Amino acid sequence: MLPRRSGLAVAVFLVPPLLLYGAAVLLPIVQSLVLSLFSWDGITDLAFVGFDNYVKMFTRDDVFWTAFGNALGYLAICLVLQLGGALAVAGLLTALPRARELVKTLYLLPAVISTVAIAFLFIRIYSLEPVGLINQLLAFVGLDGLQTAWLSNLQTVLAAVSIPEGWRFTGLYMLIIYAALIAVPKELEEAARLDGASWWQAFWRIRFPYIRPVWITTTVMATTFALRGFDIPYLLTNGGPGQASELLTTYMYKTAFVHTDYGYASALSVFIVVECLVAVGLIFLLLRRKDA
Amino acid sequence: MVHFTRAASWVALAAATALVLSGCGASGGGTDPTDVNPDGEVKPREISWLLSRPADGGVITAMQKIADEYAADHPGFSLNLITTPDRPSYIQKYETLAAANKLPELFDTDATPFAQKLAQQGRMIDVDALLSDLGLADTYREAALNYQRFDDGSLYMVPFEFQLEFFWYNRELLDQAGVEVPATLDDFAPMCEALRAKGVTPIALDGADGWPLERYMAYYPFRQAGPEYVQKLKTGEAKFSDAPGRAAAEWLYGLGQAGCFQEGFSSTGYADAQAQFTSGKAAVYNIGTWELGNLATDKLDAGVRDKVDYFTLPTLPGAVTADNEYVTPSGIGMAVNASTYDPLVRDFLKFALERYPAEIVASGALSPTTDVETAIPSNATPLYSRAIEQSGDVGTKIAMPWDTQLDPATNTRLQQELTLLVQGDITPDEFVGTMDAALTENVGG
Repeated sequence: MLPRRSGLAVAVFLVPPLLLYGAAVLLPIVQSLVLSLFSWDGITDLAFVGFDNYVKMFTRDDVFWTAFGNALGYLAICLVLQLGGALAVAGLLTALPRARELVKTLYLLPAVISTVAIAFLFIRIYSLEPVGLINQLLAFVGLDGLQTAWLSNLQTVLAAVSIPEGWRFTGLYMLIIYAALIAVPKELEEAARLDGASWWQAFWRIRFPYIRPVWITTTVMATTFALRGFDIPYLLTNGGPGQASELLTTYMYKTAFVHTDYGYASALSVFIVVECLVAVGLIFLLLRRKDA
Repeated sequence: MVHFTRAASWVALAAATALVLSGCGASGGGTDPTDVNPDGEVKPREISWLLSRPADGGVITAMQKIADEYAADHPGFSLNLITTPDRPSYIQKYETLAAANKLPELFDTDATPFAQKLAQQGRMIDVDALLSDLGLADTYREAALNYQRFDDGSLYMVPFEFQLEFFWYNRELLDQAGVEVPATLDDFAPMCEALRAKGVTPIALDGADGWPLERYMAYYPFRQAGPEYVQKLKTGEAKFSDAPGRAAAEWLYGLGQAGCFQEGFSSTGYADAQAQFTSGKAAVYNIGTWELGNLATDKLDAGVRDKVDYFTLPTLPGAVTADNEYVTPSGIGMAVNASTYDPLVRDFLKFALERYPAEIVASGALSPTTDVETAIPSNATPLYSRAIEQSGDVGTKIAMPWDTQLDPATNTRLQQELTLLVQGDITPDEFVGTMDAALTENVGG
């Protein structure tokens, strides 16, 4: 129990950020919720349509379901690259005797390059006519048969737009996980080794449980970022060809600002909020300590 | 019950806040859209023009010069030009500003369904009335004004350009493949196959932007059924599964199967597509006279400069439109905001629109008016003057770009499905099925 004066101090410090958070985050969500019950093109009067926007979303709109499926695929690829890649690189980094700073900087570099530059870089890399880097490499090793227009092929485009996003933030998560890994007390690991634990056992039973809180935070960050992923797919393909790389976010953006259908776009954004909340809930459920 | 009331009042409060914050006012008109000569004194101030034209292009250069001249006589006046050349970004910006009721004195728009709503709400000045009042109505090319008109014939935008869209081609590449310029639209696929056999990209296409491929969708119906088809299509009166729509889908599918466009065209941008043609890698390129400066002057790569020529939209057996009727746009138009219209805006427009034609033709572009002649630049190839002369022989019917006609949601879907159709990922039957469903959902056809 805090003394009274201290309670007041806590309130003084906590209320302004809470108000800011309410105005910047909660209010727009409530606004979207209200607007999603209307049909509005921005210039004519609002028309109340009840839950028709949601009915349309779930029953009449095939693009919504395609975009939802794509968003999950995008999420999976980003998570594997960002968390798997980050853990692998961070693990190797702890084993590196020298030049750790250099390797860290190199991996972090993509995270600080402008998104637009990354998008243009990858358009060139994926190109087929004129032949881009990947297709040149394939030809060089004699795999001409695998050459394709990576951003136009329906089978490859979703992976092709996910990889740049995964790649650019691998370094960032690597840094976080690396910081957690070097904080693992050496004596715990050494004790395990003396007891005859293999490298894998030491990792899985000592190191990983130790970094679990950081791992959960990183997973939540990566998941919510990936679910809100927008810029790279938007710049690389604008959701195309067809709807093959359309994500819920790019679809919502188009619905609002290209189709000027603000009501339906609000319904989509409400869905995105719910989706993020569900995802975070699931992560906590799955990664919760068994003994907790 | 108490709880319900409290909840309801919260919802009502939230709704009210939402409306206030999003600036939802139904209409902004304080002025009568037909009152083109309001009483009062000319009080110089800054006026803004939200536009979508190249920053160093002819229109902006000419209007900036004219505005500077006007400002010299009217201290305190200035014209603030806010340009977003990338059209999709521009449209988002302008529609969002319209929704927030924050459009400036002048703004660019095509004759889209969205613009028509603005006009119906009295938010744009009647340009027919304005041009008559300024005594300029007769100087404009009829085709240039018609391009800006809504389907009901009303006019709310001033044209600043006049363009012809051609198929530019590389004569040498066609000769090598042993093919002639296509006489009819049906000759495109055989031409592509012959060019492909020689390892040449037949047609360079900017697939990333959507509208260039959508032009191809418009060609077959325009020849087969005339401009009325798309007018009926956009209201749901006609369907994609009607004969002209189906024929267009079959034709485009055929073009895709014949390998007409470069592999991976869906992610090729405007500049890259043009570079494929100007570097001699692609044989044909469909673009308007706004690119004359790059395609018909010594700016064009010397390797292809003498080999480039153009042809206009080929016909069809039994075509209902004439050979000299094709895509002849007068560019995005300029609308005049009714709520900020005052004696100053009128006075400046009178000054500017009278001087504009002489300025724009000096830059080597076509004027939307008939009272001036285009000056051919000194570095032009012979093709330049031929293209300019071609503007004197244009029929009355215009092949309207479909992206300015259809409602935005159907338009987006059409651009997406067209890519799939040409890539061979869907069949023409699937294409018309999907598009008709989209049309029904969006316009209730």
